[in-house]
Amino acid sequence: MTPPVLSVDALSVRLNMAGETVDLLHDLTFSLHKGETLAVVGESGAGKSMLTRVLAQQLPDNMQVSHGAVYFKGENLLALPAKQQRQITGREITYIPQEPMVALNPVMTIGQQFSEYLQHLGMNKKRRHAETLTALEDVGLQDGASLLKRYPHQLSGGQCQRIMIALAFISQPALVICDEATTALDAVNQNRVLSLIRRCQKKYDTAVLFITHDISLAASLSEQVMVMYAGELMEFGLSNSVLNNPRHPYTQALMQSRPAITGPWQPLIPLQGHMPGGSELQQLKGCRFQSRCRFAGEDCTNRIQPRLLDDDSHLVRCLITPSDEYHPSSPDEEDTFSEHYALGLLGTSEPFLRAENISKDYISGRFARRSRKRALKDVSFTLAPGEFVAVVGESGSGKSTLAHTLMGLEKKHGGQIYLHDKALGHSESEWRRRIGCIQMVFQNPNSALNPARTTASLMTQPMEYRRFLPSERRQRAQALAHAVGLNKKLLPCLPQDLSGGQRQRVNIGRSLCDIPQLLIADEIVSGLDVSVQAQILNLLLRLRREFKISLLLISHDLAVVRYLCSRVLVMHQGEIVESGPPQQVFSSPQHPYTKTLVNASRSAEGLEPVQ
Amino acid sequence: MTISISMNGISTTLRRAGWRLLLGGGIYITLFIVALLAPQLAPHAADTQHLEQTLLPPFWMDGGHTDYLLGTDVLGRDILSQLIYGARVTAIVVVLAPLGAALTGSCLGLMAGYLRGWTEKVIMTLVEIWMAFPSVVLAMLLMVALMPGFTSVILAIILVDWTRFCRVIRGEVITWRDRDFVKAARLSGASHLSVMVSDLLPVVRPTLMVLITLEMATAIMAESILSFVGMSVGPDTPSWGAMIARSLNTVFSAPWQLVPPMAAIVITIFAAMMLGTGLRFSRREQTATGDEVLV
Repeated sequence: MTPPVLSVDALSVRLNMAGETVDLLHDLTFSLHKGETLAVVGESGAGKSMLTRVLAQQLPDNMQVSHGAVYFKGENLLALPAKQQRQITGREITYIPQEPMVALNPVMTIGQQFSEYLQHLGMNKKRRHAETLTALEDVGLQDGASLLKRYPHQLSGGQCQRIMIALAFISQPALVICDEATTALDAVNQNRVLSLIRRCQKKYDTAVLFITHDISLAASLSEQVMVMYAGELMEFGLSNSVLNNPRHPYTQALMQSRPAITGPWQPLIPLQGHMPGGSELQQLKGCRFQSRCRFAGEDCTNRIQPRLLDDDSHLVRCLITPSDEYHPSSPDEEDTFSEHYALGLLGTSEPFLRAENISKDYISGRFARRSRKRALKDVSFTLAPGEFVAVVGESGSGKSTLAHTLMGLEKKHGGQIYLHDKALGHSESEWRRRIGCIQMVFQNPNSALNPARTTASLMTQPMEYRRFLPSERRQRAQALAHAVGLNKKLLPCLPQDLSGGQRQRVNIGRSLCDIPQLLIADEIVSGLDVSVQAQILNLLLRLRREFKISLLLISHDLAVVRYLCSRVLVMHQGEIVESGPPQQVFSSPQHPYTKTLVNASRSAEGLEPVQ
Repeated sequence: MTISISMNGISTTLRRAGWRLLLGGGIYITLFIVALLAPQLAPHAADTQHLEQTLLPPFWMDGGHTDYLLGTDVLGRDILSQLIYGARVTAIVVVLAPLGAALTGSCLGLMAGYLRGWTEKVIMTLVEIWMAFPSVVLAMLLMVALMPGFTSVILAIILVDWTRFCRVIRGEVITWRDRDFVKAARLSGASHLSVMVSDLLPVVRPTLMVLITLEMATAIMAESILSFVGMSVGPDTPSWGAMIARSLNTVFSAPWQLVPPMAAIVITIFAAMMLGTGLRFSRREQTATGDEVLV
């Protein structure tokens, strides 16, 4: 029997921090055979990227492999001389990065980048060109010759992604590492990329290490799934077995914090707390998940070895085998998460916001070269107090333009927006009226939070421009921190000291400062880990009950939409092509575009397409 | 670990500041103290001439005198005392000129970077025309126009060097202005002015600080050059540049006169560089710690 392509044996990576050491990766063992796919699942901080860094020999200076070995085709990769290591990592192990636009060199043409790489592989000039064209054809880029003369900025994001896949497979590697390659994509594009990768994989019989935070995606595309938490393997097994019968409490928690696209509405149960990092790991003895585990007992502080379960291929690092069901621990929680409350009859009163036939063009160029591109075409809808409405569609369908137009950040070219039956224009007083009623939560908290302001100052920023006492501002900051579930100790912190989830809470807290009637949320959960995402989703439901706010949610994630919203608008090329309650739209889509969208999402979850 | 970063006390600030900041800061604090206490520290008045004791060497050389520790110049004035009184000009120039240039330049830079459109075109065209003049020639022209004097020196340095601040701050503002937090500030009800002052200015402040330290070095240099060509403060006010200029007349008979003012200029410029580098390093260290938290 041939040795596995990649075999990791009891791997530990140690971080030195000012004389103290802590194992960031601890006792990791798995193997991957030719042509197979292994999905590594975990939230940020789980050590997924650390693993790829070990494989690529890119560990920072203060970390080193302290124990264990990595075997590549039977050879110990870490013990090889540097030159051989480089040859293997360049030719045999390749990498598909998360952001193709950033990964390509902006000052070289696509052709030069291919040729540079192939030259490293020792290919002569004539073959290089031919190989490049075949590789491009493999990924569905027919017009290869003209593409090679272009620079990355002249291509679309999708084309760049395809080029990265072509680059990764051109050397016919034994192993391709795919690091969150589809995270930022909507379901349709995600499907396209995944099927490309699978096609190339089949052609060259490559092993693929697929790193993702989405457990259902992982299960739908790979044979095996490995769940990681805080640098340790928690569960390993065949996809079906892990997905349908998760045995580790963490895996179960992951599944429960992810909204489903079919079936009855179920409350999400987010994991509380955060993943231990750096210095916290050092103090932790035994199971690294114990502080957040519902089943944790005294035995959990002992060292826990992974053990095989009955069916021989399912590995779990846990002492107990918890049952699958969840029992609400307090009556309060049960009350909070009834479906009636979540999707209740809140949207039945008179609408306060009406958008009628909004249209918008993007105009580029001047004079003779002036060209118009339709971004929004006759978009009409209404919003009632307390109603959660979703806008779905692929990127470029005009979702964000609609949000910006409603918010007044961009000017519309036609139609009218009525707020409380009065038309909204662009004068200063109308701008005040608008921002008093409508607020926006931006997609990326890293860019939406001023790095020089503290949490308290960020959340109460709207009070800065009117007369308030500092004590009033402090009080409001504390009330907002409470409302969004943020620890009061974090109020004097800068954004750089907060975690991703905390930043998003600050981001939401700021928009709630003056308690608006409508929140426009542009993809606010798309970049977050599932457990944080679940917390934010439940937070939004709670805020609806407390403040009766409405929400216009822009999202590409249909499961999230189904969890939150009572109405969904499907946008395609600047038009609303279909609308209705999510259950109805997602189970029997009418418009062809909606069908594609729904089926793409269903296939990512491993479900049959609808007709 | 995360919270301690924002709540660091003075001791951690000092530790993180590193030796460069401490050294640079120390030299400047000494400079300011010397300038402030010049009448008390100087053994002689700066302009008292001892015509019977001209061109004395420093006290450790043959013919030196302990009354004149660093010797005397051609008119018998004590070099050490001149040096101490000369620190006053330097101390004032090193504070006021960079601050003035920073104020003018960053105001215009903020406006150009944030407002864009024709405001930016007007400001940046002005900056480019301005920068086309050789800076020393421009400064001398300005001195001629403004009449030599203390205020004019500072004004001339500001008018020559504001363009650098303007360009750099504008560039930095452009990279920040499209971030969502600017839009978020607008949605919070901020006017364009308050976006510039309370959102963009704090973000560019680290860059501004480094630029100011660099400008401190430039200001010292510019003042010395202007004194050297006799276009700075009047001959009655001692300044390091003027000392160098005067000592050049007798440089072959009394070369030691040249050393003290030159050393003083070199040390203060060096200290400004240390401040700038130190600030840059401490910033880098902060971001590095920030990354570590995320690991």
